[in-house]
Amino acid sequence: MSDLALLGILSTALFSGTSLLYAALGELVGQRAGIVNLGLEGVLLVSAATGFSVTALSGNPYLGILAAAIAGALMNTVHGYLVISRKANQLASGLALMFFGFGLSAWIGADYVGARIVGLPRLDLPGLAGLPEVYASLVRFDILIWLVVPVAILVWWLLYRTRWGLGVRAVGESPDTVYASGRSAQSIRYQALWLGGLLAGVGGAHLAIAYAMNWSENMTAGRGFIAIALVIFAKWDPLRAIAGALLFSAAVAFQLLLQSSGFQVSPFLLSTMPYLLTLLVLAIWGGRRRAAAPASLGRVYQGTE
Amino acid sequence: MSPPEQRGAMTSVRPSVAPVLLRYGATALVAFALFGLILAISGKDPIASYRDILASTLGSTYGLSEVIVTMTPLLLTALAVAIPSRVGLINVGGEGQLIMGACLSTWAALTFAGLPAWLLLPIMALLGMIGGAAWAWIPGQLRARGLVNETISTLLLNPVAALIASFLIFGYWHSPMDTNKTAVFSESARLPRLLDTRIDLGLIMGLALLALFWYIMRSTRWGLEMRALGGNPVAARLNGLPARRYTIVALCLGGAVAGLAGMAMVSGYYGALLANFSRGVGFLGFLVCWLAGGSALGIVVTSFVVSIILAGGNLLQLTRDVPYSTINILLAITLFAVLARPDFTRLRSAR
Amino acid sequence: MSKGTRRTRIGQLLVAALLAVAIAPAASVSAADESAAPESAAAEGPCLIIGALHGGSVSDAGYNQAMHDSVMAIKENIPCVEIIEAENVPEEAGATSTMENMIAQGAKMIIATAFNHQYPALELSKKYPDVIFEHAGGWEMGPNFANFYGNPPDAWYMMGVAAGESTDSNKLGFVAAFPLGWTLTFVNAFELGAQSVNPDAETIVAYTFGWGDAAKEADATNSLINQGADVITMHVDSPATVLSTAESRGVDSIGFQSLAAQQFAPEHWITGTGFTLGDTLTWLASTVIDSTWEPIFLRCGMEEGCMTMAPYGPTVTQETKDAVEQARADIAAGTKVVFAGPIVDQDGTVRVAEGEVLSPDVMGSVDWLVQGVVGSPK
Repeated sequence: MSDLALLGILSTALFSGTSLLYAALGELVGQRAGIVNLGLEGVLLVSAATGFSVTALSGNPYLGILAAAIAGALMNTVHGYLVISRKANQLASGLALMFFGFGLSAWIGADYVGARIVGLPRLDLPGLAGLPEVYASLVRFDILIWLVVPVAILVWWLLYRTRWGLGVRAVGESPDTVYASGRSAQSIRYQALWLGGLLAGVGGAHLAIAYAMNWSENMTAGRGFIAIALVIFAKWDPLRAIAGALLFSAAVAFQLLLQSSGFQVSPFLLSTMPYLLTLLVLAIWGGRRRAAAPASLGRVYQGTE
Repeated sequence: MSPPEQRGAMTSVRPSVAPVLLRYGATALVAFALFGLILAISGKDPIASYRDILASTLGSTYGLSEVIVTMTPLLLTALAVAIPSRVGLINVGGEGQLIMGACLSTWAALTFAGLPAWLLLPIMALLGMIGGAAWAWIPGQLRARGLVNETISTLLLNPVAALIASFLIFGYWHSPMDTNKTAVFSESARLPRLLDTRIDLGLIMGLALLALFWYIMRSTRWGLEMRALGGNPVAARLNGLPARRYTIVALCLGGAVAGLAGMAMVSGYYGALLANFSRGVGFLGFLVCWLAGGSALGIVVTSFVVSIILAGGNLLQLTRDVPYSTINILLAITLFAVLARPDFTRLRSAR
Repeated sequence: MSKGTRRTRIGQLLVAALLAVAIAPAASVSAADESAAPESAAAEGPCLIIGALHGGSVSDAGYNQAMHDSVMAIKENIPCVEIIEAENVPEEAGATSTMENMIAQGAKMIIATAFNHQYPALELSKKYPDVIFEHAGGWEMGPNFANFYGNPPDAWYMMGVAAGESTDSNKLGFVAAFPLGWTLTFVNAFELGAQSVNPDAETIVAYTFGWGDAAKEADATNSLINQGADVITMHVDSPATVLSTAESRGVDSIGFQSLAAQQFAPEHWITGTGFTLGDTLTWLASTVIDSTWEPIFLRCGMEEGCMTMAPYGPTVTQETKDAVEQARADIAAGTKVVFAGPIVDQDGTVRVAEGEVLSPDVMGSVDWLVQGVVGSPK
């Protein structure tokens, strides 16, 4: 395999994995606060459609990213309202949110399918001038890709090094304790969902505005569920999520290369990797991984929440 | 004698049906009003839109038959969630289980195309149930051994099933003329349709199984034991009920029913195995079951109402120029409206 | 009764009344529609109601847009025609109910543009013998069912010529949705065209397994470029993502399906083809109106105006243009037939013998790729 192809896998892994990582970080923050959002797919779709339409209308991709982030946060807040204030079943609410996302994104994006947008500009690195274009364009990342790893570290820092993060993790472990200590578990959860929604929204924005530069119905094609698997695979740790996102995306890029190498590996079977890997990891290290999960998530899975 | 409310959890006072239905109706109306607002904002006529939805579904025999066609798989996927829920398990894997059931039935349809229908169809149905049950068996085992929660495992296995189906469609069962589906099934592999409509035998299967479920849960020992496990697992286990066995069996039964839904979809409705044919039917089944409180009658009514919404969207895109997918907004808002009132939406038996 | 009970009762009655009000119009509407229809037809109704369905969005700058534009041309040419259109009808099941609804609204001609619509349309044609069904790109025929299509292989050959002339690395990239018969035919024609001016040219195929999975299309385009391809083309519904991605990597591209695609690759666009079936569809509609319609296996190419070459991009050399024009002239004159033998596939098997020609009705079910193509036909 040529070095261009190898570097290409890494490059594609970063391009494709960025939106996955943002989405996973968004879900992760919410789950740390004890809230499962199965509707992540819908959140990504709505934020992608919103971001794309705003970019098409205004000609400004940054405005689009902002709109997408806010759209994501709003979607999460809907879920939050139902689940926190109305004490609705988290799984049902999440699935309803997913269908909501299918419809709302189609409605928002209807007039903008096939529109040509000013995509997010890709940044030139100094010192690349001499390289042939094919190589130089491998590392011409946009700002969101440059920011994704720092943002993941920021999320880690927020969760583990700030009081706010402590509160979020406490709510995720034991909402009653938080309540007893006088803080509002409800508002902490709302805040976590809001932040999670912003992050997921940026993920949706990256997909539509920076990478595919297009909008079509259901364009996320299951990315939300991969992100949910990634959160579990990463043991609810933002730093591990970076590695997981890269791994999952690199696999897709690798599979595309295999298509032309004569090596007959089915792209479909290869795509089952994120889910099977997560399941395998859960089954084998089940005990320790379950201990890593925020305790109140257990109540979701038992149906008492 | 202690008053009825203080006797054991087995005896429950059932609320009368009419006020419950009317409360649902009120909630639905709130949802319809919200959706009407959205339509109005985007310049579409909400009254005309609702008229279109109702006219195209309830206003003609064809429309009604389309509603029932949409409803048929929902009956089964909702039941697939209801059975495990009675022992306190959450099955969000309906999508995957129905796909695996469909795959196994497809294998039979393609391999034994020469057999007569009276032999082939029961084989396909049986294989459909086996496929779905097998797919639910894995999460069942993982849960029974305390390794992985069934909510996560059933959820994760959904996309895996879809990918396996695609692998088969583009691999072993590939024919260059059909983009993303297998060859069309032979006549003997098609579930017969009723009365010159697109309604197939799947409807009868769904209603029959729901009736069976209702009977078993209320009048047999198994039903009692399942409710005990669902209501108070610790006490039940202390009393000697085999929790592990019921876990696996309940999930497998749920999977089998979902697998049957898959068989009905590919055999009755589509006549071939299509890539991504399920389109959220498994998740919708979860929502229907949850809305219906896990009751058999509730499932029938709820899936009927949900199907009206889904089928009605078809005409809407022609006459009102809204994308078909917008009907999901109405569906979701209705769900939100019900979700926001938790008092009458708790799963009836699991706790 | 107590105040609470009375409130509950009133509330229940109110809700029941509202529900009744909501449902009642349904029954009356359908009756009203049925009685209204004959009146309007006699009075000032449209001369023909046409129902058109598309597999994707009509603004996708791709296949669906091209078909949409062609359908709309009917209305421009015959103003008394009324068109009912449905987008995003990808699956058979949705297609059937959509067509049923269209027929219920009075459509007497159905134009089904997506590949998957063929069999649902065929079944419905048996149920409604007085409605004419036209399908794009299929092969089935019936007393009231026929199909139409452009002649893409010739166009693809010419685009292959353009690609073969423009490439420096001798590697061409082809992003495809599925290993469908038509897709493989297009790839083959493309490669044959490239080989005719550049015997070392090879085409690498990457499948996304989706008609509109934008992220995968971007991934596939990048993958092809990373394998050295310096001209990219595609057979997916909307060329937008592939073109934008190629443009962002500074790589040349060739578009397909619709002429609206060029805007996505302003600098590195070479050329492209689009379906321009407006006149053909207008003619078909006029025969339905005159009741002179007959089922025809309609294929037409560039000469008839059914397919159009897009304008050349800014970097295309005169040499390339000349080569393409030469190819076009040869095809029009009949001296060059794209799929004339001998044609050998990737394993060396002779698929079209010397002196023979691949016939059009087989092109939709091809399952092999010519020598020089890298990638699997499955």
